[in-house]
Amino acid sequence: MKMRINWVILCALTLLVIENSVIPWLVPPGWSDRLLPHLCFIMTLFVAGFAGRHTAFLIGLGLGLLQDLLAYGHLIGPYGFGMGLIGYLAGLTAERKSFTIGFFVWIVLIGGLMLDSIIYFIYKLFRLTDLQFAQVFYWQVAPTAILQLFIALLLYVPVRRFLVKPSHSSGDDSPE
Amino acid sequence: MSGIFRLMRNKRLFILMIGLILFIALMGFTLGRTRLTWPEKFINDAFGTVQGALYRPVGAVADFFRDLDRLSDVYKENEQLRQTVAQYTQDQIKFNLLEADNKRLQEELNFTEHQKNMDNYRYLIAQVVGSTSNPYEKTITINLGSRDGVKPQMAVRSVDGLVGLVSKVKNFTSTVTLVTDLDPNSSRGTPVSATFLGKPDSFGIIEYDDETGTLQMTKIDERDKPDVGDKVITSGLGSLFPKGIIVGTVKSSQVGDFGLTYTAIIEPAAKFDHLREVFIVVVPEVEEP
Repeated sequence: MKMRINWVILCALTLLVIENSVIPWLVPPGWSDRLLPHLCFIMTLFVAGFAGRHTAFLIGLGLGLLQDLLAYGHLIGPYGFGMGLIGYLAGLTAERKSFTIGFFVWIVLIGGLMLDSIIYFIYKLFRLTDLQFAQVFYWQVAPTAILQLFIALLLYVPVRRFLVKPSHSSGDDSPE
Repeated sequence: MSGIFRLMRNKRLFILMIGLILFIALMGFTLGRTRLTWPEKFINDAFGTVQGALYRPVGAVADFFRDLDRLSDVYKENEQLRQTVAQYTQDQIKFNLLEADNKRLQEELNFTEHQKNMDNYRYLIAQVVGSTSNPYEKTITINLGSRDGVKPQMAVRSVDGLVGLVSKVKNFTSTVTLVTDLDPNSSRGTPVSATFLGKPDSFGIIEYDDETGTLQMTKIDERDKPDVGDKVITSGLGSLFPKGIIVGTVKSSQVGDFGLTYTAIIEPAAKFDHLREVFIVVVPEVEEP
């Protein structure tokens, strides 16, 4: 399968803008530091599933760095590193197995947990946070990953229909 | 030795290690930098502008629905406001007299022009155009930049109280670090000195405790025991930071780390999420002789 990469990038940039401007308003007030979905990251995982690991790596790296740049307060790089790495790993696993929606659910869930954990350990490494991992995991990482899973499921059908080119060789058409 | 070579032959691991080193170098390099290069400024400005076009209308709609929810409280709130206004008119008369007195005394004591204008802060109204989804960088973006005279370390307040500090300035937008990101114990943040309203000699430093998620005022002298309900305002000591911005009210107090000082837990006056409009406080500049 192939993806329309130009459209993917355009969509990812739109998602990045939405992530920074619309999502904060949709999250209820008490939850604003618990639910922080990364829409670009979900897009990277779609790319990993449909277009292969190398493309996913590049897209993840680029979008992650962009996201870091926009949030720049202390560091540039955590999301660039995390999203690049997880994009590649997700692509690697997706190439070994058939890419079904059940498999995709696991990728989004585990990828989300891994990404936020990597970010936490980077900030811990530079002594920018002194929270315990268990607390962060319960407070922010787990709720965010579950929310990301729901958003990914919502996006699944539109992405398949509009961004994935049906391949001619395998006869795998767009969903009915 | 051969083990190392076999490791090197594994291309993926090798690239991962190089990537890790490069990224740690990048993060170390960008840590604690205040100046930005022009590509960073350009990208931030571009995204800031587009985000603003979405953030503000969405915020207006969200606020409208939230206001509908609060419609039943309006009567009570109106009653409260009426009392406050009555109080305010009283205070205004007193304030005018005191101000006139103060001016006369300053005149008699030959204050310099700079000393006279020290407390005349200018406020720049800025619209919030975005926040971030990074849990460890609590920042918001506002739509004023170096073109409008914004400089790093300026105080930012909302109608309710202190919100944060300007951390990175771009041409048309700037990034504000929230008060909840100020922690002098770790390698980040600028200490904000504070005092209690009504106890001008008291002194403390505003900190944020990540673990309990509360705002604190630490290093308070023994003689100024904080009482519950005391108002905490910025003190302006250190002259960089303006004085008289409300930070919050004391919720509880305890003896500090070594038993020599007090620590007060503060209920912040400003809300830090769902912000729409903030003010940047511009302190009059000292003219170089």
